[in-house]
Amino acid sequence: MIQKLFLFFLLFMNLCCTSQKAKVDDTVVLFLDANIPHLDPIHSTNKYSSTVISNIFEGLYHYHYLKRPITLEPSLAEGEPQISPDGKTYTIQLKKGVFFQDDPAFPNGKGRELKAEDFIYSWRRLADPMNKAMGWWVLDGLIVGLNEWRNDLRAGKANYQTPIKGLSAPHSHTLVIQLTRPSFQFLHFLAMPVTMVVAQEVVEKYGQEIANHPIGTGPYRLEHWDRNSEVRLIKNKNFREVFYPSEGSAEDEKRGLLSHKGQRLPLSEKITVKVITERQPLWLSFLKGQVDHGVVPTDNFDQVFENNQLKKEFVDKGIRVLEQYRPDVTMIAFNMEHPLLGKNKKLRLAFAHALNSDLILEKFYNRRGIVAQGPLPPLLDGYDPDYKNNLDFNLEKARQLLKEAGYPDGKDLPVFDFELSNNATWSRQMGELLKDLWGQVGIQIRLVINTWPQFDQKLKNKQATLFEMAWSADYPDSENFLQLFYSKNVSPGSNNSNFINRDYDQLYEKALQLPPSPERTLLYKKMVDFINNEVPTLFLVHRIYRLPYHSWLENYNEHPIIYDFYRYLKVNTQIKEKNWSQL
Amino acid sequence: MKRYFLRRFLYTFPTLFGVSLVLFFIFNGIGGDPAYQLAGKNASLEQIENLRQQLGTHQSLLHQYKDFLWQTVTLDWGQSWYFKENINSMLLKGLGPSLALTVPSFFFTLLLALSVALSFSYFRSEKSHSLLTWFCLSLMSVSFLTFIIVFQYLFAFKWGLFPINGWSQDFPFVLSFLLLPWFISIIVSVGPDILIYRTLFQEEINKDYVKTAQAKGLLTTQILYKHILKNSMLPILSLLLSRIPQLLLGSLLLESFFGIPGLGGIMIQALQNADFPMVKAITMMSSLVYILLNLLADLLFLLFDPRVELK
Amino acid sequence: MAPIFSSHFKSLGRTPPSIVFAIFCLALFGLITLFVELDLIATDYRVTHYSQVYLPPSFEFPMGTDFLGRDMLSRALHGVSIALIVGFLSAFIATVIGLLLGVIAGFWGGLWDEFIVWLYTTLDSIPSLLLILALSFVLGQGLEHLFLVLGLTSWVSLCRLIRSEVIKQRSLEYILTAQALGVGQIRQIYYYILPNILHIALIQFALIFVYAIKAEVILSFLGLGVEPGEPSWGVIINDAKSELTQGIWWGLFIATTLMFLLIFSVNLITDFMRKKLDPQYHSSH
Repeated sequence: MIQKLFLFFLLFMNLCCTSQKAKVDDTVVLFLDANIPHLDPIHSTNKYSSTVISNIFEGLYHYHYLKRPITLEPSLAEGEPQISPDGKTYTIQLKKGVFFQDDPAFPNGKGRELKAEDFIYSWRRLADPMNKAMGWWVLDGLIVGLNEWRNDLRAGKANYQTPIKGLSAPHSHTLVIQLTRPSFQFLHFLAMPVTMVVAQEVVEKYGQEIANHPIGTGPYRLEHWDRNSEVRLIKNKNFREVFYPSEGSAEDEKRGLLSHKGQRLPLSEKITVKVITERQPLWLSFLKGQVDHGVVPTDNFDQVFENNQLKKEFVDKGIRVLEQYRPDVTMIAFNMEHPLLGKNKKLRLAFAHALNSDLILEKFYNRRGIVAQGPLPPLLDGYDPDYKNNLDFNLEKARQLLKEAGYPDGKDLPVFDFELSNNATWSRQMGELLKDLWGQVGIQIRLVINTWPQFDQKLKNKQATLFEMAWSADYPDSENFLQLFYSKNVSPGSNNSNFINRDYDQLYEKALQLPPSPERTLLYKKMVDFINNEVPTLFLVHRIYRLPYHSWLENYNEHPIIYDFYRYLKVNTQIKEKNWSQL
Repeated sequence: MKRYFLRRFLYTFPTLFGVSLVLFFIFNGIGGDPAYQLAGKNASLEQIENLRQQLGTHQSLLHQYKDFLWQTVTLDWGQSWYFKENINSMLLKGLGPSLALTVPSFFFTLLLALSVALSFSYFRSEKSHSLLTWFCLSLMSVSFLTFIIVFQYLFAFKWGLFPINGWSQDFPFVLSFLLLPWFISIIVSVGPDILIYRTLFQEEINKDYVKTAQAKGLLTTQILYKHILKNSMLPILSLLLSRIPQLLLGSLLLESFFGIPGLGGIMIQALQNADFPMVKAITMMSSLVYILLNLLADLLFLLFDPRVELK
Repeated sequence: MAPIFSSHFKSLGRTPPSIVFAIFCLALFGLITLFVELDLIATDYRVTHYSQVYLPPSFEFPMGTDFLGRDMLSRALHGVSIALIVGFLSAFIATVIGLLLGVIAGFWGGLWDEFIVWLYTTLDSIPSLLLILALSFVLGQGLEHLFLVLGLTSWVSLCRLIRSEVIKQRSLEYILTAQALGVGQIRQIYYYILPNILHIALIQFALIFVYAIKAEVILSFLGLGVEPGEPSWGVIINDAKSELTQGIWWGLFIATTLMFLLIFSVNLITDFMRKKLDPQYHSSH
């Protein structure tokens, strides 16, 4: 027994040593903090699938890695689209010589060239009701004939060969798209993972298993996927010539983000993405250098930062911090159909004035964020850093309003259920703070933890009374935030506070007609005022992300909208070797 | 005897029927209508209704139950709603890591508990037995979660003896991820096992043949191993058999803290995402295994223990 | 009530000091629960001090404060009351169901027996963790759902033991004599059967009590425990998983210590009872 144990111990020590050595290679090791449910573009509305998908697949357009404000540039498209004067017909030329990744689904296992038909097929898949595509909303009602084809397909009156009026390929590399209405968001849609291109052969070969066999045209291909554990990507040797961007700000230059300019992408042979769902193990793994970037858990913040600066001990270990805004906002929404909350604006105002957003920012975001003054986040059109709404934290005012609302000190007020969208400790603790804050003026809430489907159902069924919400931009246009209050989008759509107001609708519809312009910006601002005046939703925080990374990870600069940045990353093995010893 | 076994075998059918009923009706109510979630961000009522039709959730419960029974018979569970993957292949993939976590710790625990219990049977002093009892009871009085939190912090983070979290496909390398979870798993389960085995041995020791041997000064290791261990084997075996289904399911907590991609994690995600086909499949499969193992245990008793009365 | 406490309980004999200690602990926990429920102690468990978060133990806060600056000791003491309520009520529900069904099945036999055996074999065949999780998801969180779920899912082994014991007792001489003398069935059960199976129920009660308290911690990890905001030990321990690395050990410490004392005491007493009361206790597992 003892002997065996000893042998075992030796074996283990041996393992430790070999693993120590094996780690200093040039594989980029990244993390995701939740499981990747699948790798099928048409369902990729969650961050985790989208991240991996957007490094394997490509769309017609994508966002420039460094340029700000956020700028679209062609990806599989050759140059800008030709748009007809009425804004409804888009003619897009495809790049020549783009090949799919090799796969047994293709003749001889060699990836074939991309054609315009592939996009039409991919978008048919998105529309096909049998696929239950979660990303369908992107094209829903937008392309001439696509909805009709969808309905015919469901009724068995059409198939994949049935032509769709709004989607045609007059030439193998020309795609013509007819829209039902002019849309100034359409090009952004073409950069979203849900519209990325797949090959029909591959989809047909793998059938139900397609979500495990992602074959795209992108810089990486899937080498191995261990659900709940890790994804390994390997360089796609068929990847066309694409080069590291050479334009960037002085700040980017200073951060060394331009040191690889003009080099062929992807820069790394291999990427490993580890799935680490618990915050603490993730942080610990990061500190040990087992992943190249990480997240500082809220509770550890003060250990790591001092006066907003990374503490010296961490800087000395070669740890750096990437600080960036993302266009998102966290909110607390009222269900405007609730008989009490919907009709009694003073009551909603009492909630608003008793809400200490600064405290929330301090406790749950470590002061890393901006107290939101409306739905529109930084980086987007219509956001004004100097704008302040009138919903300041003021307990006296809250008490006064509660009295005027007819419930002095909360007397006769029912206990409101506050719906939490997940069971994370963080979320529950924030709920406890809210309960305490509102309790101080006499508003009582009961916290209800939901699984995501339970939460989603309550929202879409209009059963929730009061609930937490967060919205991050699907595409960088303020419209994506303002549509949250458009009456045609009420639940089960995205207007989950079920706010219905004719005047607001008019403003929204007018803005939809306008190209990006000062006039539209002005409209956007007006709409923000409108929402703040009616308070269907309380806006909490626009987050600032402080992402720690090891200095051996070069060119690390996550994009605020999409996560296709793997191609730019590189591990500097010299630095890694040097820093390893200090961890 | 054949008849008894046949009866026993036939009895599994009503049980299976009961299990399927309970599973279907309780688990159908879990966590929300999946159509809402699958409909995505900007859903319409029409879309949700269509999804219900595709998922079959609009059909009568009886019809759905019939489908469920058919799936159970054919063991074909279709595709997961959440993961968009074939359920059987997911279960197969998750089984490996789960077993890698549970089976070795199961055997280590067994070995450790047996040897401790056996060696203490050798000592007859009241004091040493009380100490052992207290030790085991103490281990049993601390929450599993506390053990995980504290041990992960101390061994993996503070002292850096193990990686904090992760998994690997390479055989020897994967051990480094498993050692700490194994250790925790053993710590938690060894306490009650020692106590159970000790009682069994104690009972055997108190039997006449041992007493006689003892009186002759013959309580040797030989008696311990040859007779006591052998005679206690049957209850121990049946106890172990009853635990096998738990091994298949892995350990939810350990898997989630140590990033082991096993069935425990798949199960909890399925529950949290109202992935009803997956939940049904996992539960039904483990119930099947449980029922079969029970049958096996009964058969073993029948073959080896003459005391079992044939009722 | 005299016949209930039969000869079994008289044989408890000399009480070892460890049992005295355990009984003392249990009494203390009982008192704490009483005082907590009467709002006599730990009344400030919800009072927040935003400027005094995560304070280490001090004179003012003997067990430090949590993320909202609430007194950890008060919260942990509230946890005592939650644990006792969850443990006691779960065990009570399970014992009542198990005892009732076990006696019915064992005493009357026949179709009743068939049905009850089928029922518990069925429930036993479903992995208990899955059953608990599923029920919790259906019912949602909250103290009352917690003990309901745990009670409803943990009566099987008790029921099985009671049933076989009742079958054994039923065929014993004195019951047969009582039957021959025309003693009513309910009286037979009450006077002759119940006293002889109560020790089993008592031991199982204690086991379920411990099981329920431990299960609460796991359910809290999954967000299925008590109503969010209530300081159960499970919630306190769960909070510690991110706090420990920054040196905040007091929450974990106090919750684990209290839990240890409670469960250890119950375990000691159970073990003692088993040895003294149950001649064949191995078969109970």
